[in-house]
Amino acid sequence: MDLLNVYHLQIITFMAVNSILALSFYLPLSAGQLSLGCAGFMSIGAYTAAILSLHYGMPVFTTIPAGAAAAALAGVLLGFPALRLTGVYLAIATLGFGEVVRVLFLNLKITNGALGMPEIPNLNDYFSALYRSWGLQGGLAGLDLPRLAALTTVVFCYFVLAACVAFVLRQENSRTGRAMAAVKADEVASGVMGIGATYIKMLAFVQGAFLAGLAGAISAHVTNFIAPGDFNYHRAVNILLFVVLGGSELVWGGLLGAAVLSVLPEFLRFMQDFRWIIFGALLAAMMVFRPQGLIDRQLLCRFSLRKKPGMDGMDARSSSGEVD
Amino acid sequence: MFWQQVVNGLTAGATYALVAAGYTLVFGVLEIINMAHAEIFMIGAFIGLLLVTGTCCPVWAAVAGAMIGAGLLGWALERLALRPLRKQGVSHLAPLISTIGVSIFLMSLAMKIFGPQSVRFPASVEPRFFNLFGTVNISLLQIVILGISLALVAALKVLLARTRLGKALRAVAENPEAAGLMGVNVNSVMAAAVVMASALGGAAGVLVGLQFNAVSPTMGIAYGLKGLAIIIVGGMGSVAGAVAGGLLLGAAEVLAIAYIGSSYRDAVAFIILIAVLLIKPSGIFGKLEGRKG
Amino acid sequence: MSLNKRILTFLSICLSLALLVTAGCSSPSGPGGGAPNDAAGEIKIGVVATLSGDGADYGVSIKRGLETARDRINGAGGINGRKISLVIEDSHGDKNEAINAVQKLINRDRVLAIIGPTNSGEMFAAGPVADKAGVVIMGTSNTARGIGEIGPYVFRNSLPEDNIIPITVRKSKEKLGFNRVALLYSSNNDWAVSSAKTFEEALREQGVAIVETQTFADGDTNFQAQLTRVAAAKPEALAVSALYKEAALLLIQARQQGINLPVMGGNGFNDPELIKIAGEAAEGALVGSPWYAGKDDPAVRDFVEEYKKRYHTVPNQFAAQSYDALGIMAEALKTEGAAADRARFRDALAAIKDYRGVTGRFSFDENGNPLMDAVVLQIAGGTYREVK
Repeated sequence: MDLLNVYHLQIITFMAVNSILALSFYLPLSAGQLSLGCAGFMSIGAYTAAILSLHYGMPVFTTIPAGAAAAALAGVLLGFPALRLTGVYLAIATLGFGEVVRVLFLNLKITNGALGMPEIPNLNDYFSALYRSWGLQGGLAGLDLPRLAALTTVVFCYFVLAACVAFVLRQENSRTGRAMAAVKADEVASGVMGIGATYIKMLAFVQGAFLAGLAGAISAHVTNFIAPGDFNYHRAVNILLFVVLGGSELVWGGLLGAAVLSVLPEFLRFMQDFRWIIFGALLAAMMVFRPQGLIDRQLLCRFSLRKKPGMDGMDARSSSGEVD
Repeated sequence: MFWQQVVNGLTAGATYALVAAGYTLVFGVLEIINMAHAEIFMIGAFIGLLLVTGTCCPVWAAVAGAMIGAGLLGWALERLALRPLRKQGVSHLAPLISTIGVSIFLMSLAMKIFGPQSVRFPASVEPRFFNLFGTVNISLLQIVILGISLALVAALKVLLARTRLGKALRAVAENPEAAGLMGVNVNSVMAAAVVMASALGGAAGVLVGLQFNAVSPTMGIAYGLKGLAIIIVGGMGSVAGAVAGGLLLGAAEVLAIAYIGSSYRDAVAFIILIAVLLIKPSGIFGKLEGRKG
Repeated sequence: MSLNKRILTFLSICLSLALLVTAGCSSPSGPGGGAPNDAAGEIKIGVVATLSGDGADYGVSIKRGLETARDRINGAGGINGRKISLVIEDSHGDKNEAINAVQKLINRDRVLAIIGPTNSGEMFAAGPVADKAGVVIMGTSNTARGIGEIGPYVFRNSLPEDNIIPITVRKSKEKLGFNRVALLYSSNNDWAVSSAKTFEEALREQGVAIVETQTFADGDTNFQAQLTRVAAAKPEALAVSALYKEAALLLIQARQQGINLPVMGGNGFNDPELIKIAGEAAEGALVGSPWYAGKDDPAVRDFVEEYKKRYHTVPNQFAAQSYDALGIMAEALKTEGAAADRARFRDALAAIKDYRGVTGRFSFDENGNPLMDAVVLQIAGGTYREVK
């Protein structure tokens, strides 16, 4: 059993980052907004974290929240104009925002343009150094130091992810969450019910931006290097794929989608050059046979042992809560 | 120099318009953003290339062949990846994803078949240049491209306005259920829309390949993104808007290169987009509030 | 379900997925990330290259060069009787995938050393990973600054732009005597930007004025607006830093607009594909490179012939450099104990001096960057000729 192989730990780390990205897409969607700006917000988080740690020498545990905060701020600024839009208009406008941010980073001096920013402090190294300072050069409990450090990075990322998931679930089951579901189901009706739709939409949008920035900042600290090309249109589409493939009705859908799509390209490695042909075909076939995504509410109900209507966040949300 | 840049911008814009017209047609009738359109455009370019190099067809035959080939591809796309999703309760995100899947599939396949490098049209179709007013150079090819693009879009416009099929297309765009009740075969009309859009995309592919003398499996990406921006700027579902938006973007990009700085060019499309959306969220030619996307 | 239970469920889903991955592709490997696996008697060298997506043409050339070198080395009896085997992984031009591929090669396949990845950006991301694991990683196509400096285990045999471009500029100026140059480069390509900067410095050193700077992006097909501006600035020569695709289209469109000026190119100009696409328009272009297929050297002739027989095309610089990279590694492997120990292999590689490959006489500097001479080539009659 070599689950603790550093290769697998690496994939599992990327899986966590992708899961946070899926949440960042899911949150605005749960208030009825299809936002493709995640890649843009992610890049703001990543660059903020990289600049703070490289130019100002700030420690990893302060740059990550700072990156998330910077992205949230950008989310507020973009939110004012963008939230007047709906549906496809919003999707393409936010996609455009991502492109504008990318071009900006290509041209700025502090981001080093297309050359990107190398030598970003790595979480693995940080933990290695930490353990070494504790006198654990030889590792612990049969694990050598590189594995121990990689494992700690994984635990750290999943801790952050679990906190995000807990937050999203808690919110869904709250007054705010129900307001989001109402706005998603019918914005006009929700207004009649006394819900401030603009505020709710803004809240969901900024929360999404925050999570995307968080994921970006973490990814900067696990990949050593960032360049504007990492946050292009393909990244935005990928994040969309996580949620829709996994199932856009539920938090779990996005998380499952992120997990599957992080692993699938690695799984298909044996196919060599045919890998991406198969991947594309699988994606299209998947939508034909299971358009609602891998998991939906029905599937979850079938597997859940007991069901208490009203007590469960998933049931509290309108079943017709489809964006249209 | 200014007028030379305007000519450069308009010829680039004409091909943008042709790509955007395909997006807008599919969106208008099916309410779907066809993410595979950019790859159909690329395949069209390859078909045109094969016709010109393989059988020494004249250029017009290459354009026609590419339109037929791309149209068939569009038909297959509609049958295999879009029609199965047209049932009750399927999220509108599903066709988006299935077309993304098709787009990844087509691009990877083209890379496998044609190789990743750019391929060139033979030198026999090299452009000849005319000099206008002493300062502006325009090639025969540029004139032909401008001509074909505008003619195709005009033909589309006439088809929509005057023919039975056009009427059916507009009826389905307005309300599929009602059109169905009135005896319109909604499925075939929708298929026709995708086929026509793909044919336009295929033609655009050949024209772009001819103009810039290179065809490669990744050539669709940039045009696809800009096409998306254009249909929003022009107004979703509006053919006139696609043309206006395409020409506007072509001109704006070129002028940005000439007077602002070429490194900001790729942001131009989206800065215009965001500006237009702020002023008139439905786009230049958009209806005030159509069916929401 | 309570909240805690849900989180628990989610974590267990993740864990089981991870288990699925491992079960699905588990391999019989020993414990630890330490020793390279040499059970089969073969020496395993990992390769990470961009074999799909944008830039796949470079990855494919690299793969071909390496396979040609592997078969030649194995055909000649291998390394002390042991054969070299290549484990080739695709990175899709994506740095996360490059990291995954490097981790896989080190921890699953337990290769002795790695060749690749293709882009400098991928190397900046994946190089530190291999370096920290104590596995040699050697780029064959990374030309940006600072690659060898990533760490002691990071090498490259591709000559950085810093070495080539000043020579190109000096020789071109000697030959053509220009004083005003327009610089064009691809602004979203790290490598092209880096070599454009080197062009700027080299031109300044030679006392040449840069009268216009224009940029474009990888994948662009329309350069008319930029060229119109360039023409208006009335330069006496062009300096172009772009990959061959964009460079070829740019040359064609420049000639169409009547800009018949001499052109100096960066590394992207050193590719037979450029001549194939640009045809007449490429005539007279100048480029510096350690490699050209027409060199009067029996080793080069053999390699070109063998490569042509296998792939029906002339090897480009990427194929030649990767061919040499495996040759250099094979040379280092002959050192006592180097085939079984990654650290010893690293020291043996760093000690390589005056290796004679198809790209010329080769040594590493103290950082693992190459020390070798470049020649300036000019395209004439549809092929590259050395400028004496």
